[in-house]
Amino acid sequence: MQADKITVTGFRHFFKTEGGDVQATGSIDIAIRPGEFVTLVGPSGCGKTTLLKAIAGFITPTEGTILCDGKPVRGPGRDRGVVFQELAILPWRTVRRNIGHGLEIARVPKAERDRAVARLIDLMGLAGFEDRYPHELSGGMRQRVAVARTWAADPEIILMDEPFAAVDAMTRLTLQEELGRLCATTRKTVFFITHSVEEAVFLADRVLVMTKRPGTIKAVLDVPRHDAGGRDWDSFTSDPEMRAIAEQVMHLVHAERVA
Amino acid sequence: MTSATIARTVWRDTRILLPFVVLIAAWWALKVGLDVSDQLLVSPPRVWDGFVYLVTHGILAEYASTSLRIIGISALISFAIGVPLGFAVGTNRYASRALEGTLRFLQGISGIAWLPLAILWFGFTHTTTLVIVIYTLIVPIVFNTMTGVRAIPENYVLALRSLGAGPVRIVTDVYLPGALPSIVVGMRLGMGYGWRALIAAEMLVRQGGLGDLIFGARSFNQIDRIMVGMVVIGVLYIVVDRLLVQPIETLTLARWGVLRR
Repeated sequence: MQADKITVTGFRHFFKTEGGDVQATGSIDIAIRPGEFVTLVGPSGCGKTTLLKAIAGFITPTEGTILCDGKPVRGPGRDRGVVFQELAILPWRTVRRNIGHGLEIARVPKAERDRAVARLIDLMGLAGFEDRYPHELSGGMRQRVAVARTWAADPEIILMDEPFAAVDAMTRLTLQEELGRLCATTRKTVFFITHSVEEAVFLADRVLVMTKRPGTIKAVLDVPRHDAGGRDWDSFTSDPEMRAIAEQVMHLVHAERVA
Repeated sequence: MTSATIARTVWRDTRILLPFVVLIAAWWALKVGLDVSDQLLVSPPRVWDGFVYLVTHGILAEYASTSLRIIGISALISFAIGVPLGFAVGTNRYASRALEGTLRFLQGISGIAWLPLAILWFGFTHTTTLVIVIYTLIVPIVFNTMTGVRAIPENYVLALRSLGAGPVRIVTDVYLPGALPSIVVGMRLGMGYGWRALIAAEMLVRQGGLGDLIFGARSFNQIDRIMVGMVVIGVLYIVVDRLLVQPIETLTLARWGVLRR
């Protein structure tokens, strides 16, 4: 059996405030296998972003351990790429220089860097926008750049925190399909947070459902994949098996609605 | 080019001078019309004569160069100290909260208010003037750098750290470009405050400079010299601001101001 890529054991987190400690999450245990796409869905404020930030190394958990490739997480590192909801690509860099930023930091020679950037520009449908600045792009295009930047740095683990939540509904569908295709060609271990049930089931190999704050993992559902090349919404919505899983997740999430 | 377009061009390039022409006409009319004594006000031609005298005898160049040298040195020192200080304070949440009040308090105490202490410490020397001007310049530079750094979204930093960036990379790739527009605004504000503080300090310190020139002229009732000095102070400020500071600001804001959105 292959070793797990990400292991979270006995994770609990508290925020210090002036009124005392506030519990952000209940006790959480997660194991994610290499190459797996795991989505985490839960109500607002359940602590899902807190968990992602801890895996990214932005915060130190109050309790518990987080291992990536068997090594404890100590701060952020280039083995774990992060895609944020918004405000992450640098406005003073062109599309090309944003995407190549990780490789530039890693001192990858320019010729090699250019090849990697060109490949992602092609994969993410950004051709023709290489020399544009982020403010000249739509929200959807900006998120494409953010995704491309993370993939260009070629980390084994990618953490995504509601990356398409700020994008309009039509564009979101396209971005989700593109992400599916990207993952089918690159085989990364992805941990993806969302509050959209449809998105969670559409993208995942496995869906984790969280309870409301202080959140714990309430259910784990496997999503079978019959489509090696990545999913598309047409076949997803007409597949009764997928509908059934989505409905099941919907029921689990609805029980956790915050008044 | 038709005569109408020529007229329009001339008008466009000269209209900023029109208020000055009106001002000089009013001054002259006041002098002649009310027959004001030369002890209180001299006529524009007398001031012009004074200007020509100060220029031909090299006196104006001597005093003006002293002022320009001090403002130049002060600007360089303030920039070199103020920007890193602003970064240090801006990147540290606790330090910026703690220091914000102090900086506002210091903004309230003008450079001139430090003059009595500075004279006691450093005597009637250029050091005193320099200290006052640097103090005046540095407060807005630190303050604006700090504000600029704090306005940078945290995600920029987090994303870069996840791409493997160390502290130096974070400064050069995020903090510096992100705070640049604010730094330039702070520099421009500082130059304006600093120039005024410089003239005031020179009037008390009396070691050369345009402030010394106009304050010294007062002792001998040389109203023409006082007025020449005042005009030169104003003109030099416009020259420094428009030819040096504003182009830098326009350049950075035109580029970075749009880009930081």
